[in-house]
Amino acid sequence: MKTFEEKWTAWVDGQLSGRELLEFEASLPDKAAAEAEKAGARKLGELLKRELSARTLTNEEFFSHQLREKIARLREAPARQARETRSTWWTIPRLLWTGALSLAVFLVFTVFVMREKNPAEESQYLTQILNARVDPVVSPNATVSIFEVKQDRVTVLWTEGLQSLPADYAAK
Amino acid sequence: MQTEATLAHADVSELDLVRRCQAGDTEAFDELVTRYRTRVFSMIYNMVHNEQDAWDLAQDSFLKAWKSIKRFRGRSSFYTWIYRIVMNVTIDWLRKKHVKGVGAEFDDATQLREVDPASKTVPQTEALPYEMMERDEIRTRIDKAIAQLSPEQRAVILMKEIEGMQYHEIAEALGCSIGTVMSRLFYARKKLQNLLRDVYENI
Repeated sequence: MKTFEEKWTAWVDGQLSGRELLEFEASLPDKAAAEAEKAGARKLGELLKRELSARTLTNEEFFSHQLREKIARLREAPARQARETRSTWWTIPRLLWTGALSLAVFLVFTVFVMREKNPAEESQYLTQILNARVDPVVSPNATVSIFEVKQDRVTVLWTEGLQSLPADYAAK
Repeated sequence: MQTEATLAHADVSELDLVRRCQAGDTEAFDELVTRYRTRVFSMIYNMVHNEQDAWDLAQDSFLKAWKSIKRFRGRSSFYTWIYRIVMNVTIDWLRKKHVKGVGAEFDDATQLREVDPASKTVPQTEALPYEMMERDEIRTRIDKAIAQLSPEQRAVILMKEIEGMQYHEIAEALGCSIGTVMSRLFYARKKLQNLLRDVYENI
């Protein structure tokens, strides 16, 4: 079932015929006004055709040239992408190797530095007093207690029965 | 004026050109572009009213056509197929730009040039200055009136009145029903008749 708009358009364009045309024209309340509208629509069509179809493309050859270049770039794109993909894959192993080497160097340096650093942190006092206690001739009854709080970096030495300080310690 | 025989020949060679395009022949596509570039540009220009935008949209349309030429099955004519691409590109662009009513889109209307179809063989007679001014004024009125239509209404009226396309061809190009085409045509004509009545009644 056609709507009024569809029938009107078909009527203006001369696409209605036979019974459909007769029925449509009979349904129009003011046929004279409708005929005037139809004539107006046709004049409008002629006006549009005359004024707008004269518009054309300036520099047609440049238009085609620009389009050819775009298409050429488009055709080249997959090949370039493949090359770029290949080169990307080539750099990934290199990146991995570089990363692994850097990690190895870092580990070697870390181990070396830590090994050097640990003895230096050991207290000289502790070493000397403990060494002195080992000699039973100098202080046979001496006892040394060590209280250490590592978190606060505090060490307390409690000595008892020490006859004399070791000579090299006293000198310091 | 083309005879039916030349039209038939043109159709055959056009199909041949399409087949060559589908095989990757850019020269064949160039030939198709040469055939349709002016009509495509003109159609787009009448919808967007700006020469640079029309140029860019025509380029985009042909580029899309090249990309999707392998999907063309030949069920419709090539020009209906290309018009469908052109309309999709242009209507999308118009929607994005939110062109509504009279705007600043008539900035280069004066850059248009008129081409006399017989200009290659017949010396062109220059129009008088006042006639040219009058025509410019009429074109500006038409452009402003068309700008007040929706993108879909613009497409329908231009394809019908300028290109002389049939309802079913317009429907195919716009991807809608024939009834929708006729309905859009009804409202587009009504609006343009209201806006341009004094112009077409006085010519």
